[in-house]
Order: sequence, then structure tokens, then C-alpha cells
Amino acid sequence: MSTLVPPVPADAPRWPGLIPPVLIAIPVLLKFAGVPIANAWIIFALLFGLMLTGMPISISLGLTVLTYLFTMTSVPIESVALKLFTGIEKFEIMAIPFFILAGNFLTHGGVARRMINFASSMVGHWHGGLGLAGVMACALFAAVSGSSPATVVAIGSIILPAMVKQGFPARFGAGVITTSGALGILIPPSIVMVMYAVATNTSVGALFIAGVIPGLMLATMLGLTTWWRARKFNYPRQPRASWLERWRTFRASAWGLLLVIVVIGGIYTGIFTPTEAAAMSAVYAFFVAVFVYKDMSLAKVPRVLLDSANMSAMLLYIITNAVMFSYLMTSEQIPQELAAWMLDKGLGVVAFLLFVNIVLLLAGNVMEPSSIVLIMAPILFPVAMKLGIDPVHFGIMMVVNMEVGMCHPPVGLNLYVASGITKMGITELTIAVWPWLLTMLAFLVIVTYWPALSLWLPRTLGMMGS
Amino acid sequence: MKFLDALEEWIIATLMGAATLLIFIAVVHRYAAGLPIPVVQDWLLKIDLSWAQELCIYMFVWMAKFGAAYGVRTGIHVGVDVMINRLPPKTHKAYVLFGLLAGALFTSIVGTLGATFVWDIAHTDSVSPDLEVPKWIVYMCIPLGSYLMCFRFLQVAWAFWRTGELPHHDVAHVEGIEDAQDINPYALDDNLHPAPLSEGGRK
Repeated sequence: MSTLVPPVPADAPRWPGLIPPVLIAIPVLLKFAGVPIANAWIIFALLFGLMLTGMPISISLGLTVLTYLFTMTSVPIESVALKLFTGIEKFEIMAIPFFILAGNFLTHGGVARRMINFASSMVGHWHGGLGLAGVMACALFAAVSGSSPATVVAIGSIILPAMVKQGFPARFGAGVITTSGALGILIPPSIVMVMYAVATNTSVGALFIAGVIPGLMLATMLGLTTWWRARKFNYPRQPRASWLERWRTFRASAWGLLLVIVVIGGIYTGIFTPTEAAAMSAVYAFFVAVFVYKDMSLAKVPRVLLDSANMSAMLLYIITNAVMFSYLMTSEQIPQELAAWMLDKGLGVVAFLLFVNIVLLLAGNVMEPSSIVLIMAPILFPVAMKLGIDPVHFGIMMVVNMEVGMCHPPVGLNLYVASGITKMGITELTIAVWPWLLTMLAFLVIVTYWPALSLWLPRTLGMMGS
Repeated sequence: MKFLDALEEWIIATLMGAATLLIFIAVVHRYAAGLPIPVVQDWLLKIDLSWAQELCIYMFVWMAKFGAAYGVRTGIHVGVDVMINRLPPKTHKAYVLFGLLAGALFTSIVGTLGATFVWDIAHTDSVSPDLEVPKWIVYMCIPLGSYLMCFRFLQVAWAFWRTGELPHHDVAHVEGIEDAQDINPYALDDNLHPAPLSEGGRK
């Protein structure tokens, strides 16, 4: 991979290197000097200090818990050790490896091509042409593959060269694909939603169903932005496809799309539990990839298994340590204190949600979605419950926040992947994504302050208690 | 060493595949046993698969522990590397080494805690609820996996100390893209992974 970021010069300032030790030292010294500061500050200073050193998030979570318990409390270490072992012994969590496996079977250029053909036959003749088709293809592919960066690569490397050939500016295509690629974590099945469900004991099924309407709405809004800008600058359009052509391309992509139906339908009708649905979708995806699409030979299967296991194990390891961390949070009563403080200050739902959005957007600057959800959900969720916010609505809001975080620097994974396939620098890409990023932020406001958008469908279908 | 690498990969890939098949069979069995086919139904009803869920959990816990060790070798574990990737090479190297050694420290502590825990329950007769296997066998994955992970951290740290190279994980690799470009976002300074030291700190 060619370099896109200039190397750090040998005489770059070294003082930022002092941040982690200083960050950890301040509250500790204050504590020993006898200043009454809440233990929460020590925990967070320790966590952020360790994280900033660049060690894996899972390790910094675990070390924070161990250090705190060893030095500050008399909680028996065995009880924590037990958490470490039993933390992931829940059948619901096992949906994550299955969904990753299912996604990996169908994360293939052939599948992407079928989705693009279908999308461009449906919407290619409108303003925006291939760009609009890109949004739709991203939404479809992301739902099936479950991985945002993989979506950007798969759809992007096929559609972007075609767009440039047709006369679209490179920036336009890059902006469309980078942002649309993030749709995957909102449209079910979504691994980030399973993480939220696990961290807060919310129903996975209700979350999946709740994601459908916001997911479609965000796709529509991104499409509208594309359409509007394409009309303004008069970008090329595709010839209108015949209905026969549309049917043909639909038939080709339907096998992949059926995966989403298997999962949502299976969970909704109660045929499967979410984890069983995930396992069924993995077997289904294997069947489609090897025997129907024939994109993958049987010899490639062990490699897919290994890659999926690798990714799942990384996430499960973060979960294990996050469970320990949330146990520490609970035993130190930190969410309760935060809730009491917010109520004390007279901050209502509106202010709290604003606060949550800002915190999550900031966290999105340095971490990837799964870690943010696992760390922040146990802290913010009890407060949200106290304020009477619906758990499912809160979850959808968090997920939309994560989507925004994937599309802006410094860690927006989609940006880095897009920069790899377009050969554009991060700064240029950041400018390119602006119209769509603003759309996403507007959508975030809508999702945050209009709970019915996420709650109407699961309520109507009777997936939720009230 | 080659053998250990291969064994590790073989274990986690097999567990992944086996767990998927297991749950698939359990679900199919549940619905097939409801079909009124003579003989077959009787035969299916005799098979009890209620332990499938528990076995699946144990398989994935084992996969998670060994997979996490494998993940150190492939460099998949994500972190917050915004700051250290902007530091001059020497300080950067010190932080990456610190991170790796902290990983080794944490996993060795967990491994030891796990070993004590396994030792303790090995002297009780506690068994798992459905499968009724002794619990200490189930929990063996914690000391084994954690010590293996500790070893991997030390291995990566040693290689980094000597060559300045770190393992890279290719997260967005997609098969079947024709004009194959070697896209490797984790080698792209995504700030979720430490950058290697070659070529002046960043690749």
C-alpha cells in the first residue's frame, strides 16, 4: 500500500508523549495529598491514560480494573477473576461470531457486483446515476456483509472507477461511498447492535427491527443529498433499464439479500432466537457463496473460518474485559452518581441526550464502534433509564452516532479504506464527505429527538413490552 | 514453533466451523422432530440435543481465548493510537513496546488467576449443567489461552524490538475484486493500531 500520510519527522514534538503518565498521576497524587476526589476520576484517568499509550483497548480495560482493585479496594480478586471467566458465557453473545462468519462468506466482489447491477437498474436513470446506485448498493451490501470498511472496498473499487470514467469528479464518488458504507451497522443484522444488547440486556430482536426504518431513512437521505448535488452540477445519468432487466438483476442479487430476510423474519416470527438466526444465516451464506453464486471454492472455506474466528475472538476479548469494567462501574456506583448529579442539576432528557451525543461523537474520534458501545453503554444506560428514555431508542441513537464516527478523521475507518482505493489524501477526502456527513448529523438530530422513528415498527409488531 | 502456529489456527478454525454446524443441526433437529413422519420422528425424538447450546458457548469461549492469542500474532487487536502515531520514532517505539509488555503482564496475571481458579475447582466435583463435564476442563482454556497470549505478546515485542515491524491485519480484504489493489487499512495509520517503525515511523 502506498503511503498517504507523510512520515513523522525525527524532530516532531515529544511532549505529547508525557500526556498518559501525567493524566494518570494527577488524580492519584491528589488522592494521596488528601484532596477528596471521587474514585470515578481515578478510574477514568487510569483508563484514558492506558488507552492513550496505544495498547489494545481490551488490555487497557483489564489493567484498569486489576490495578484499581489491587490498590484501592478490598474486593476479593477471585470474584473479579470469576467475572473474567464467566463474562462471555451467554448464548446471546454467540450471535457475534456467527454474524461475522455469515458476512465473511458473502463479502465478495461477485456479490458486490450483483448488488450494484441491481441498484443501478433501479435508480441509475435518476439524477446522480451511478452515485445514487452506489448508495443503494452500499446499503444492500453492508446489510449482508456487516462490515463497513469491507463495504467501502467492495462497492467502492467497482463503482468508483466506473463513475470517474463517466465523468463524475473523483471527490463526489468518494464522498458517496465513504458515508454510505457506514449504513451497515444500522441495517440489521448488525454486530454493534448485538454488542449494545449484550451490554444493556436489551432485546436483540427489538433492536434489529427498530433499525429497519431509520436505516432506510438514512439511506434515502444520503440518496437525496446525492440526487440534489448531482442535479445541481448536472452529472451523467444511466439509460433507464427495462423491467425485464430489473427482474434479472434482482434475481441475481436476491440470494444474498435473502440472508437479511432469514435473520429478521426468523427472529420476528419466533422460529429462531437471534443467535440461532445468526448460525442459520452463516450456514445459508456458506451455501449461497459456494453452491449458488460459486464465488468461493470449498478450499477457501478454512481461510474464511480462520479470519472470522480471528475477528470474533478480538471482539469477544474486548467484551470479556468490558464486562469486568462494567462490573467495576456498578460496584463503585458510578452510573448512579452520574444520574444523581444530572437530576440534581435539573438536566432533563433533552440536555442529557445532547450530552450523550457529544460524548459519543468525541469518543468516535479515537475508538471504533464496538469498543465505544461496550465502554459507554454500561455508564450511560442506567442514567437514560432513570430519565425514562426507551432502551431501544437509546440503542439506535448510539448506533447512528457510531456511523458518524466512522466517516470523519482521525480514526474513521471508512475514510482510510476509501483513501486507499481512491488514492486521495485524508484531508481531501474529509472535504469530499462533507455534504453527506452533514446529512448524517442532521439525521442524528432527528433520531435523537424523535423516538417514534425507531420505536414505531417494533411496537406495531409487538416486539416490545409497552 | 511452526507446529504451534498451525495448531492454534487449526483449533480456532475448527471450533468456529463445528459450533456453526452444531447449532444448525440442533435447529433443524428441533423442527424436523415435529414433522409427523413415522419411524423417523420416533428416531429423532430419541435424540436429545438440549446440550447443544452449552457446548456452543464452551466452543466459542475456547475459540475466543485461543483466537485472542492468534490475534496478537496477526495484529488485529484495536487500540487508541492517535497520539503515539504522531510521536517521533524513539518515543513511539518506547510506547509500542510498553503497550506490548503491558499486554504480556495482563495476560500473565489473568493466566495465573485462571490457573489457581482451575486448580481450586479441580478439587470439587462441580460439573457443567447440561453436558456434565467437570468444570475445570471447561475452564482450562483460561490459563492455556492466556499464557499462550502472553507468549505471543512477548514474541511480537521481541520482533518489534529487533526489526521495528509489527504484524498487520487486513480488515477490508475482499475476495473477487478484479483490479486487485492491496488495501490494508490497518497498515494505513488508521490510528486504531500502532504504526510500524519502518520508513521513519509510519508506512
